[in-house]
Amino acid sequence: MRRRLPVLVGLMIFAAGAARAQTAPDQTEQIRILLERVQQLEKRVGELETKTIAAAVPTAEAAAPVPAAPKPEMAEAAPAPAPMHQHEQTESQATTRQLEARYPSLQIRGFGDVNFSTTDQRGVNSGFNLGQLDLHLASALSHKVTYFGELTFNAQPTGYTVEVERSIIRYDYNDFFKLSFGRYHTPIGYWNTAFHHGAWLQTTISRPEMIKFGGTFIPVHFLGVLAEGNIPSGGAGLSYNAGVGNGRGFPISRPGDAGDNNNNRAWVANLYSRPAKLYGLQMGVSVYRDKITLPVNPAGNEFREWISAAHIVWTKETPEFLAEFANVNHKNILTNAITNNQAYYVQMGYRLPWFEKTLKPYYRFEHTHTPLSEQLFTNQDLVQSIVGMRYDITNYASFKGEYRNFKRLPTAPRVNGAFFQTDFTF
Amino acid sequence: MSPNMNATYKRVVTFLWTILWASMALHSPSLAQTSHGTDVAVVVNSDTPVADLSLSEVRKVMLGERQYWSSKLPVVLLIRAPAARERDVVLRVIYQMSEAQFKQYWVAKIFRAEAASPPRIVYSNDMQYELLTALPGAIAFVDSRNIRPGVKVLRVDGRLPGEKDYPLR
Repeated sequence: MRRRLPVLVGLMIFAAGAARAQTAPDQTEQIRILLERVQQLEKRVGELETKTIAAAVPTAEAAAPVPAAPKPEMAEAAPAPAPMHQHEQTESQATTRQLEARYPSLQIRGFGDVNFSTTDQRGVNSGFNLGQLDLHLASALSHKVTYFGELTFNAQPTGYTVEVERSIIRYDYNDFFKLSFGRYHTPIGYWNTAFHHGAWLQTTISRPEMIKFGGTFIPVHFLGVLAEGNIPSGGAGLSYNAGVGNGRGFPISRPGDAGDNNNNRAWVANLYSRPAKLYGLQMGVSVYRDKITLPVNPAGNEFREWISAAHIVWTKETPEFLAEFANVNHKNILTNAITNNQAYYVQMGYRLPWFEKTLKPYYRFEHTHTPLSEQLFTNQDLVQSIVGMRYDITNYASFKGEYRNFKRLPTAPRVNGAFFQTDFTF
Repeated sequence: MSPNMNATYKRVVTFLWTILWASMALHSPSLAQTSHGTDVAVVVNSDTPVADLSLSEVRKVMLGERQYWSSKLPVVLLIRAPAARERDVVLRVIYQMSEAQFKQYWVAKIFRAEAASPPRIVYSNDMQYELLTALPGAIAFVDSRNIRPGVKVLRVDGRLPGEKDYPLR
C-alpha cells in the first residue's frame, strides 16, 4: 500500500493536470472556434436568405450596399462581400449609428480605497480610514473639444470635504498642439500626471512624499492655461507641456483657485521622450518658475521659486521602474537668502508570472531634504523604505500590503509600520 | 516485492511522471497562446491619408499617442472583442499587454485626460467593415483572409500581409 501511494499521487496530479489543461487557454480556444463557426453559419444563412429574397423580390438587392471600387492601394484580391439581408443590414446600420460619436458624451468613472495602518510611532493610533472617493468625468463636446473633471470626497473628523481636483476644457488642433484651460495636476515630473487621485492606478498604497496631496514640496495643482502635444522628432518620441497660471496661493499647497495673490504668473515647462525603439521607456525634464507672496512676514514675504525636475521610468511591469528627482530653489527677495531643497524616489516592481499574474511585489526608497535655513517650507526631511505586495483581486480592484520604515528628523526615532489598502475603480 | 516488480514499479512511476509533465507543458498557457496563424492586416477607411506605417507608428496610434491623421481627421480606433484572434495579435504584438493590462491602460489613459474614449469594440467582421466604411479616420485589424474591397490595407514596416517578415501574425 505504501509503495502504491506515489503512483496514486502521480495519477491524481496527472488528473489534476489534465483538468487544469481544460481551463482558461482551452476554453478560450473553444470559444474562438465556436465564434468563428457562428460567424460562418450567420454568413451562410445571410447568403441563403438573400438568394431567396432576390429570387422573390428582384428590387430588394438594390438596397444592399455596393462595395466601393477598390483604389490601387486597396485590397483587390479579396472576394466581394456577400450582400446582407435587409433586416441584417438595418441592424448593422443601427449598430454603426450607436458606435458613431455623439456629443456631449459623458463618461463617469469612480475610484475609491479603504485603508488600515498601524505603526510603532508614539501618539499615532492604528486603525482604519476611508481614503478618497474620486469621481472622474470625461465628455467629448465635439471631435476637437473635450472636458475632463475630477472631484474627490475626503473624510475629515467632522464630516466630508468636496474638492475640485481637476476641471479642464481642452481644444485639440492636432497632435502637435492642444490647448486647455482650467485646473490641472502640475506637469512636473512623472507621477503627478500619471496617477492622479485613483490609488488603484498606482502600484503602491500612497504617493511619494515629494508629491503627496496636500503637501508643499511641489505644487501639485496648477490653475491656468496649458499647451501640450507631440514634437516631430522621429524615433525620439518627444512631447511637451507648457503652461502659465496663478502659481502657489496661500496656503502654498493650494493653487489660488479663487484668484492669484500677486500679479506675477507662474509658468511650467515639461519635455519628455518616449523612444520608439524602447517601448515602455519615458524620460523627461521639467522646470517651474513662480513668485510666492505670503502674508506679512518681517523677514520678507516674497520669494522667487525655481523648481527643476527630471524623471526616468520604465512603464512595463516586468519590471516596472520609476525614478524622479526635484530641486526646489527659493530666494527671499528682501534678503537674497537662497535655499535648495531636494527630494527623490526610486521605485521598482515586478509582475510575477504565476497566479495569473495577479501579484506584484515592489520596493520604494525615498529621500527628502530641506535645509535648516529654509524659510518657506517647514522641515520635510524624510528617509523612507517601503516593501510591499500588490494583489489584483480582479481587473478593477486590488489589495496592497506594505511594510514601511521611515525617519523624519535626524534626532527623531525610526518608525516601523504596516499599511494595508484595498482600492478599486468602478 | 521482487527486484523485477520493483523495476516495473519504477518504470510505471517514471512513465506517469513523464506523461504528467508532458501534458502540463503542452497545455501551458504560454505555449497555447503563442500559436501563429495567418497575417493580420491593418486596414483604414479608404479616405485616410496614410498608406505605410512603421510598427512603432501603429503602436503610437493604438496607444492613443497619435490621435489625428491630419488636423481635420481624428483617428477612430476599432478593436475586436475578446476571444477574436485579431485582438490577440494586437495585444501581443502592438500593445505587448495582457487583457487586464490593456483594460487598465485605457482606464488610466482617459483618467489622465489624454483621451476621451477607449477603442470601440466590434463584435464581428461585418460590423468592423461597416464602421470602417462609415467612420472617416477609422483603423482596424482584420484577418488577411477576410479583406474586402472598400478599405485601404496599410503596409507595416514596408510590408503587406503575406509578405516575408510581416510583423503582425
